[in-house]
Amino acid sequence: MDLLGLYPIWYEPGVGSGWVVGIMSTIHVLFSHTSVGAAVFFMALATIAYRQNRPELLEFVKRYGLFLLVFSYILGSITGPGIWYSTTVASPRGISALIHSFVWKWATEWVFFMIEVVGVYAVVYLVGKIDQRTHLKLTVILGIASYTTMLIILGILSFMMWPGKAEWFTDGGYLAGFYGSNTFAQLAMRTAFMFTITAVVGSIVTGGFKDMAFRKQMNRWLAFIGIAGTVSGALLFQWYLNTLPEQAHLVMQNRLPEWFETSLIGILGAILVYFLVMLFTPRLVTSAVASVATVALLVFGLWPEEVARESIRKPYVAGQYVYSNQIIARDVPGMGIKSEMPLIEEHGLLKTQVFMPEHLRTVNAGNALEVGEMLAKTMCSNCHSLSPTGIRPMENYFQGPADIASIKRYLKAGISTGNTLYMPRIPLQEDEAEALAVFLASLIATEEKDEPAVALATTEATPEEKL
Amino acid sequence: MDTQALYALRDVAGVPSHPVIFMILHVLTFALHIAAVHVALGASALTIWGALSKDKYRRRLAQSMLPVSKFMISFAVFLGVAPLLFVQVTYDPFWYTSNVLSAWWVIGFIGILTVAALLNMFFVVKNHHMATQKTVCPGAMILSTVLLLVVGFIMHTLTNQMLSPEKWMEWYVPNGVVDTSGRTLHDFNLPRYLFHISLSVPVTGALLVGYSRYLQPRLGDEKHNISPEFLIWVGALGHRLILVGGVVAVVLGAWWMNALPEKVAEFATSIWPALSLVWLLLFLAFAQWVKAGRMDSSWAYGVLGFGAVALIVMAISREMLRWHILEGVHGYNPLDYAINMDWYSTITFFVTFLFIGGTVMVYIASVAWNAGQSQGVYTPGPVIDRIGTAAIWLSILWVVHFFVVGFYVWMR
Repeated sequence: MDLLGLYPIWYEPGVGSGWVVGIMSTIHVLFSHTSVGAAVFFMALATIAYRQNRPELLEFVKRYGLFLLVFSYILGSITGPGIWYSTTVASPRGISALIHSFVWKWATEWVFFMIEVVGVYAVVYLVGKIDQRTHLKLTVILGIASYTTMLIILGILSFMMWPGKAEWFTDGGYLAGFYGSNTFAQLAMRTAFMFTITAVVGSIVTGGFKDMAFRKQMNRWLAFIGIAGTVSGALLFQWYLNTLPEQAHLVMQNRLPEWFETSLIGILGAILVYFLVMLFTPRLVTSAVASVATVALLVFGLWPEEVARESIRKPYVAGQYVYSNQIIARDVPGMGIKSEMPLIEEHGLLKTQVFMPEHLRTVNAGNALEVGEMLAKTMCSNCHSLSPTGIRPMENYFQGPADIASIKRYLKAGISTGNTLYMPRIPLQEDEAEALAVFLASLIATEEKDEPAVALATTEATPEEKL
Repeated sequence: MDTQALYALRDVAGVPSHPVIFMILHVLTFALHIAAVHVALGASALTIWGALSKDKYRRRLAQSMLPVSKFMISFAVFLGVAPLLFVQVTYDPFWYTSNVLSAWWVIGFIGILTVAALLNMFFVVKNHHMATQKTVCPGAMILSTVLLLVVGFIMHTLTNQMLSPEKWMEWYVPNGVVDTSGRTLHDFNLPRYLFHISLSVPVTGALLVGYSRYLQPRLGDEKHNISPEFLIWVGALGHRLILVGGVVAVVLGAWWMNALPEKVAEFATSIWPALSLVWLLLFLAFAQWVKAGRMDSSWAYGVLGFGAVALIVMAISREMLRWHILEGVHGYNPLDYAINMDWYSTITFFVTFLFIGGTVMVYIASVAWNAGQSQGVYTPGPVIDRIGTAAIWLSILWVVHFFVVGFYVWMR
């Protein structure tokens, strides 16, 4: 019998492993977009400084660069691999799928990343020690290398959502997976918003300038690129939405909270107001105010965006073939990828998983609860916390009082068949469904201080209206 | 964990080039990464040594080592990305299992490394003139260095846990109860960890030998207190570190080999540890040869070169030990990974690495090297200037190629 190569599970009851990844990713987006946007902005400033003989602009490059050494090139450099580490422990087969398709692209990005890190040190520490023309060349190299890292990672992010071309589902291959309309739409949108972020973070630096005339001028330039980035980013967001597959739109309509759209418009409006303040009353934009604006952008702008991006690719986590619970759910003949569904249908999850303890491979009256818990952790906990806190707590999706038979009926009709939008198909065997139902009922009972014996509120297969 | 189970954990997508390419790159980039780690640790230690001393040479050296420690933490991070990438390609079953079993430590690694880097940066900001001014907050630098040793220990443990598939279920289901908390570091190997850390002493020694040679064109730079006596002192210190550190590393290496598990005990007498020992001894001998009257010549830089080769040989031996355990004991052969050859992305990487990476790094290194040896503003000559122009055009060409290929694929 073939084995199901699922890794051990890391279950984090406090916030949930999914949110650990989300927090790491959101922070990294702030750092990385700032560094790329700033590097491109430096390129423009260094060109003006060289052509118009304005060395004071290089002073700004140096000060923003020094700030970025901590903000982006230490924190950003660490949180980048941090995303790998967090996904490694939260979704090993998800990150593995990306690594094995795009290892050379990541290796290529690493070359540009190396240039970027060495380049930023050179640009910052060689100001005044080398002639201006050489410094300009270094700044141009930094700007191009930095933007190239974004070009590369965007294709991989798009693949996470949906492979670029439909032919990938049959033929596989790097190019068909990497390039598609979503790749370019997302690239354009992120390029625009990266200038928004660069301008907000840049105002932390200008806020510390004592020379008010210079502060005013730099604030004005930052505000201009910020406004241009925000307005064009909002327009390009429509293009991005148009490139999303129908499934993603369905999920957006049914799963994203109602406040999402309002919040998005609200944060964009607030940012535009902030840029107007930078433009007309730069004295108000101190480093402290700018820091608050940066945190607001992180919490109210980037966090919802990252959560939405994670949500709309469900039930998959990578390339529309790896489910969020790590099961391979689709054949990709060109790459020799075979769906694991037939194996699970035939032998079940308990008999086939590599890391299933022997005493849990067979369900009996004495271990049903324990087996159910193990199944819930391996199949559900990536997206649903089994505790009252964390990501989408499981108990919120069932209305008590708990009834094992009804839960089992729902599992067989709604989950085993794959008939629930947003949820992976999990072909449970009879005994597995029973054990999982016992455990889920115990969760609800624990919450309600009730015995798991009575009727489940939603009996027929579609608890999604409550999801 | 039997062989079938290990193979079942492999990624179903296969690999896009022959696995041996990834293994070679893994070894080479690990050597680069560990060299940066060694220098970061050594420079941090020398900074603390100077920061807590009143000796003027120690303080002057600390002033130089402080930015080196800062750069090298950054370099160690970005150089570490590459072996981290390649280990996931060929050893995914082992790496992922080991990580998940100690998940909180994996997340903790990021947090602790962040604190270490920020403390280092804080100390840098507060101590711009260590040669002449009192040290401010040395505790930050000490704590930073201790935390770097902690993250090194976490990484060592994760790597070590990969090598014991037979213990995985015991760690995952201790006493019959599944532990999904990821809160435990299960298995470390003290001599192996200490051996890798100890290498930072001779590596830092080699750095000091190169440093004393590099600054010779700036002798008499009073602004930066670069005197002949100082450089002689630094060179002598470098040689002491190479000798003492080299001997300590040999002793710890022998302890590690002696403490290998019974299943691979014969590896200790194989050619690989012997090769490492020979190169380490050659490195020590070459350093002594340079010390005998060649410190003013370019041979002094050769000490760094010999040290680099010794590290690569050590990295190869380390990889062979892994092979010995995983293939020899557990029957897992990374070379039989299914290949879904992708010529485009393979060629793109090597062309980018060699032509763009090579040209740009030569340019930046040349400018930085010469600027560091110059007093006043440095202007590159025509050759270096042309390399810079070529670096820019090659980078632009790469971006153009990205869009041309991308639009073609998108539209077809």
